[in-house]
Amino acid sequence: MEHGIVLKPEILGFYKNFPITNTLLVSWVAMAILTIVSVVATWRVKIIPSGLQNFVEAVIDWGYSTVEGLSGKKTLVLFPLVMTFFLFILTANWLGLLPGFGTITYKGEPLFRSVNSDLNMTLGLALLSAFLTHFLAVRYLGIKNYLLKWVALNPIFLFVGILEIISEFTKIISLSFRLFGNIFAGEVVLSTVAGIFAFVVPLPFYFLEIIVGFVQAAVFAMLTLVFMILLSEKHEVK
Amino acid sequence: MEILKDFGINPLLLAAQVVNFFILLFILKRFLYKPVLKVLEERKKRIEESLKQAEEIEKKLQATEEQSEKIIAKSLQQAQKILDETKQAAARMLEGAKETSAEIISDANVKASEIVKIRQVMLEQQIREHAGDLIILAFEKIIGKRLTGKEQKEIIEEEMKNIS
Repeated sequence: MEHGIVLKPEILGFYKNFPITNTLLVSWVAMAILTIVSVVATWRVKIIPSGLQNFVEAVIDWGYSTVEGLSGKKTLVLFPLVMTFFLFILTANWLGLLPGFGTITYKGEPLFRSVNSDLNMTLGLALLSAFLTHFLAVRYLGIKNYLLKWVALNPIFLFVGILEIISEFTKIISLSFRLFGNIFAGEVVLSTVAGIFAFVVPLPFYFLEIIVGFVQAAVFAMLTLVFMILLSEKHEVK
Repeated sequence: MEILKDFGINPLLLAAQVVNFFILLFILKRFLYKPVLKVLEERKKRIEESLKQAEEIEKKLQATEEQSEKIIAKSLQQAQKILDETKQAAARMLEGAKETSAEIISDANVKASEIVKIRQVMLEQQIREHAGDLIILAFEKIIGKRLTGKEQKEIIEEEMKNIS
């Protein structure tokens, strides 16, 4: 299979009935990298940090203060979720820029493919984000207050409630397709430019993709955070 | 749902991604967030503590400085006082010494004048004694004979009466 624009992830093999795609493989690689880095960085936590611990601390501190600034008391619950979204998407996006992606083949299919250029992965994350958002809303508000967000006796608010339910679905679609679209488009651009002239010319696009990878990860995490905060706040009914 | 097939959506893969996320969430919570946040919090506390301690130390230092200044001022005052007292005492002693020396000098003067008087008297007496001898000698020469003791006495007494 030549460099074509393929929406579907390529299936490398099956484990029983379970298809193992190249994107799933890379998502495992991303998880492994994150795991190794965090274990190594916090192997011996020192009060005076150095090296990797220093770097990891800077990242965590930045994430924590950002989440804390927005969510206040809920930080302890929200931070791990949001930060994991961010770190996973960021690692996956930047991993997809490494050489070998799309070029190394296995049984005629590319062995590695950027995780988020597969709608399965982004939709999975978006569904999870939505599910967690609603779960936390129920937890913080109680089931009664949660339902009151959507249903009201006042016909105007009832209509607003219906609109909000629709917007919840749009959120899932926008979250998943934004990430997928950006990364997939980046992949296509990179392979196309590399197809025109493989030396030096793709470099600016690689820089662009580094930025896009960061921005998309940040956008996904921040939107998830904001949705979580908004939905777990009490709805003022007059 | 044609579009989902175009994108290769597979419920199993969706589920796999969700499971992946939870595994990653667990791992990162355990190995990254907890230890790092803990150490950050600990460091924050330590910095706060040391800042507080530094403040306290500064306060103490200030207090000690004030105290030492007070002590120095006090001791200076005392030293001045002692110095003044000593000066006064010295002045008094000097005055006393002057008085006593004046007394001694006047005493010595008196004594010296007495001694001079005594000497004078003694001298006069000697002169008288010698004068008696001289008179007798002169008398003997004049009269050409030796006088007896009785005569000598008479003459001396007579002459003495004349002299005094």
